[in-house]
Amino acid sequence: MAEGPAATTIAASSYEVDLGNLMAYDPSHHIAAASREELRQECLRKGTELAQALADALFALPPNEDRDGPIVHLSLPTVRLPREKHLPKPKPPTKWELFAKVKGITKRKKNKREWDEQTQSWKRTYGYDRVNDDKDIPIIEAKSTDEPGVDPFAQRRDEKKKRVEKQEKNRLENLKKAAKIGALPRLLSFTSKCCFPPPLYYECLFVSGRNLAELQLSNIFCMQSIQLAAKALPIIGTKADLPKKSRKEDLESVVGMASSATASGGKFDEKLPDEKPPKHPGKHRKFLPVAEGKGMGSLEKQQNDKILNSLLARNSDEPLDVGKASSRIQPLT
Amino acid sequence: MRPLDEKETTQVFEKLFKFTGPNLKHLLERPAVEGPDAEPGRYCLRLNRNRVYYASEALVRRATAVSRPRLAGVGTPIGKFTHHGAFHLTVHALDLLAAHARRRVWLKPDTERSFLFGNSVPKSSLARITENTKVGDGVVVMSMADVPLGFGIAARSAQDCRKADTNAVVVLHQADAGEYLRKEEELM
Repeated sequence: MAEGPAATTIAASSYEVDLGNLMAYDPSHHIAAASREELRQECLRKGTELAQALADALFALPPNEDRDGPIVHLSLPTVRLPREKHLPKPKPPTKWELFAKVKGITKRKKNKREWDEQTQSWKRTYGYDRVNDDKDIPIIEAKSTDEPGVDPFAQRRDEKKKRVEKQEKNRLENLKKAAKIGALPRLLSFTSKCCFPPPLYYECLFVSGRNLAELQLSNIFCMQSIQLAAKALPIIGTKADLPKKSRKEDLESVVGMASSATASGGKFDEKLPDEKPPKHPGKHRKFLPVAEGKGMGSLEKQQNDKILNSLLARNSDEPLDVGKASSRIQPLT
Repeated sequence: MRPLDEKETTQVFEKLFKFTGPNLKHLLERPAVEGPDAEPGRYCLRLNRNRVYYASEALVRRATAVSRPRLAGVGTPIGKFTHHGAFHLTVHALDLLAAHARRRVWLKPDTERSFLFGNSVPKSSLARITENTKVGDGVVVMSMADVPLGFGIAARSAQDCRKADTNAVVVLHQADAGEYLRKEEELM
């Protein structure tokens, strides 16, 4: 260019090269270009210079010889890049947290080991070999309120199971609430590959008898990313082209279709314990019987009478025959 | 063969009502005159394929013994449902309508032939018309010898007929007895 090679070398030394990010930056660069074409040329030239400066810096580093060639360790980046994604939204307080706040309950630290009175030994607070385990209770004394045939050990197990299920349900509810306001982190393994309808429907087809709540359980992790993916606009098309959230009725109808999609219409399949009978079994249109009793059934008579009466009522506005009436008018004498 | 559902029954009744008026009640509730049964039942409407039949209850009961693909008809056919669900009365209903219709039109003897060939009735062929015929009423066309020839819809009221032109259409043709010869294949 006009300044000549001297000017460019001086300028080259003032470039800021960040080897950690492999970036070269000229702080004193001004673009003086009139037309688009000139601008393009200017940018290309400047880019070349910067790339050259970067390459110089790279090759100036001491290499380690390896069998694949010289390997160079880059220094840590000096320029801090701005945040790629938004700050995480604060999670809404869970049901327990709200309750604790109201009651003024604070967290207390639990020790890892506790003294177990039952076995008279030190045991873990939770997990394998824990304090207050049901296994360690040899005898449960019968109370006066107990019925004769009832197994108290089984009762304890059932109660525990219920407590665990309740807790799991609460945990999912909290997650759902957080997901609703977008406070849950996205799962990277699902976002790029998962599009909305297929996973949900495939799960339905293979899982047709299972409890729908369980289905949602297994999909809860997909749900967050699915929701985010579903709200994103497609590359071409409008919001109207987006697949809509499938509703409970859609799921139920798909389950019904899947359960009857066998060779014998799903009639002889074994039903799972929780499975409800299909809502629209087979016949979708009801007809009156051809002949009931002596011929016409009462329902048919009712139907006919109803229609007849409504028809007659609608057209009953001819009580007066104007022609006949006018011919009977006698002139006043 | 099956009974008509609500929508179909409404359509059939409305078409019949145009001809019979309040007599429709009598048409549907009169005791059956056919059959060997001691206690006469009523008449009912049944649908077989696309056609609507008017049959007595006794006959319907006996017709349930015939298998579906073999059943050609039950009783008197009165009309049929078209492909898109509209109901049309056919010429088979002539006897029934002639017995129960309110409005009649008598044709001059020379002009009967024109109607039997499928043309509408112009004023020039009109010999007599029931007094209180309104526009849109169903009308049974008779010859001077009181033989029912067919039926149609009145295009003009009785008063208007007097004032009308000789070539003005009085009755729009719907079905006539000549169809038995002309449309032999289509009728059954």
